[in-house]
Amino acid sequence: MLAFRFLRALTLVHRTTPNSSNAARSRRIQRAAFASMAYSAGPRRAWSRALLCRFHFHRARRRCAGRSRTAGVPRRPSTTGSPADGLRRLVPGGTEMDYCSLLEETADYIRCLSKQVKLMQSIVDSVGPGGR
Amino acid sequence: MGPARSSGVGSGNSGAYTTEIAESLRFEEEIHSIVHPSLDSSPAAGGSFTALLGLPANQAVELLHETGPSEAPSSAAAPSPTGELWRLRLGEHAAGPLHLPLGCSPTFPSNAALVERAARFSVFAAEDSPELSSGGGPSPRLKAEPPDSDSPPPLPIPTEKTQRPAKRKECEKSKAKGPAKKSKSAEENTVAAPKETAAENTDGEKLPYVHVRARRGQATDSHSLAERARREKINARMKLLQELVPGCSKITGTALVLDEIINHVQSLQRQVEFLSMRLAAVNPRIDFGGLDGFLLAECGPLATANGRGGVALDPALWSSHPVTANGARWLPQPQIRHVDVWPTQQSSTAWTRDGAAHPHALLNPGASLFGYDPASSVSLNSNQLKTEL
Repeated sequence: MLAFRFLRALTLVHRTTPNSSNAARSRRIQRAAFASMAYSAGPRRAWSRALLCRFHFHRARRRCAGRSRTAGVPRRPSTTGSPADGLRRLVPGGTEMDYCSLLEETADYIRCLSKQVKLMQSIVDSVGPGGR
Repeated sequence: MGPARSSGVGSGNSGAYTTEIAESLRFEEEIHSIVHPSLDSSPAAGGSFTALLGLPANQAVELLHETGPSEAPSSAAAPSPTGELWRLRLGEHAAGPLHLPLGCSPTFPSNAALVERAARFSVFAAEDSPELSSGGGPSPRLKAEPPDSDSPPPLPIPTEKTQRPAKRKECEKSKAKGPAKKSKSAEENTVAAPKETAAENTDGEKLPYVHVRARRGQATDSHSLAERARREKINARMKLLQELVPGCSKITGTALVLDEIINHVQSLQRQVEFLSMRLAAVNPRIDFGGLDGFLLAECGPLATANGRGGVALDPALWSSHPVTANGARWLPQPQIRHVDVWPTQQSSTAWTRDGAAHPHALLNPGASLFGYDPASSVSLNSNQLKTEL
């Protein structure tokens, strides 16, 4: 499922933005990668929900051209140096989880990330040196 | 505590105290520091302890008995070996310096059970100072038995408990663990706990060093139970993470493992970014030609009929995919089925059966998610994919 979603998104990106620069396209592809990851994980996972919220919010912001609210505001700034701070910043939605569920979400996130990386690597490999 | 313990203690005590007493001298300062801060609730105990030092052995022993367990833990303030030392201290006037092997940092034996244990462990000292045995013999016995009859007071136990979390690990392999545990169990547990300690005591008598591994009757306190469950949950999840991250199983220590996990996640994210850059430069020519055939083979004839309506699904496929069930609930259209259409003819063999395709499901939400015009994506079905290339 992840593969299908991502490939579809990839082809869409290439089709709809043939003239944009590589950098812009790479950003879109990266977002597509995370989005397909989040979709394949399903709404059960807190990190996938957080990712999708972030995407929808960003999309809404772009369409609305107005700042409805500030995104990325740290809801719980860690004053005390808890051991999982770095992890909270890395995992989407990690700032609002307790330590226990943070570990669980991290495990799932790592699994999904590895799948995505393997998928992208295989695409790159299969395409070969000659792209277009 | 249990009568069995006292009897066991008495037998092994002779002469052991004297050696322990000498050791106690060394740890006096240490124990004082421990005793005094922890003796918030029982300041008298600490004071009486020092007073005890000046008393002859017999009187000290009596005092010990009178004050009961409250005295013992405060004065002992140490694992069983050291705790016993306190007792032995009382008899130290009668005995010369002793050398007691101490493996643990001091903790508070909470109750008379520790006294017993101390007496029991005095066996160690017995070897070194036979001359002291005469003096120390009766006192330990005396001490052991009355404390047994005493009910453990709540006072020493809280102090001991505070000590225990810190010291438990250190004393884990030593006999001290027994007394510390005993005290806690005596305080909180039912009769079952003392029986356990009694068994441990008898073991300790026979061997000089008993590695007490038996988990004490665990606290029936709901808070500690919940805490323990939570800790175990966290440990289990850390273990899973260690297995996921390559090279993490060898690392010991939570902080290092967390660092390694963070590094791994960061490297994965960087890899995604790098690969997306490469994919942006390269336009992969993906042949979806085999998709139709695959769909036909896997699902019914309706599979390739349209990209808009629900796709007939082999229920077996669906049930085998836990993710698909979630996706079905997630997506707005109820008739959406999940089809594992990832064709095996694809050039990339890295794609596994995991890549189940949800043609219809993907089109609407996926398109909207990606920020593309939904209309264009809706029209995208397997045929279109084929023609795109």
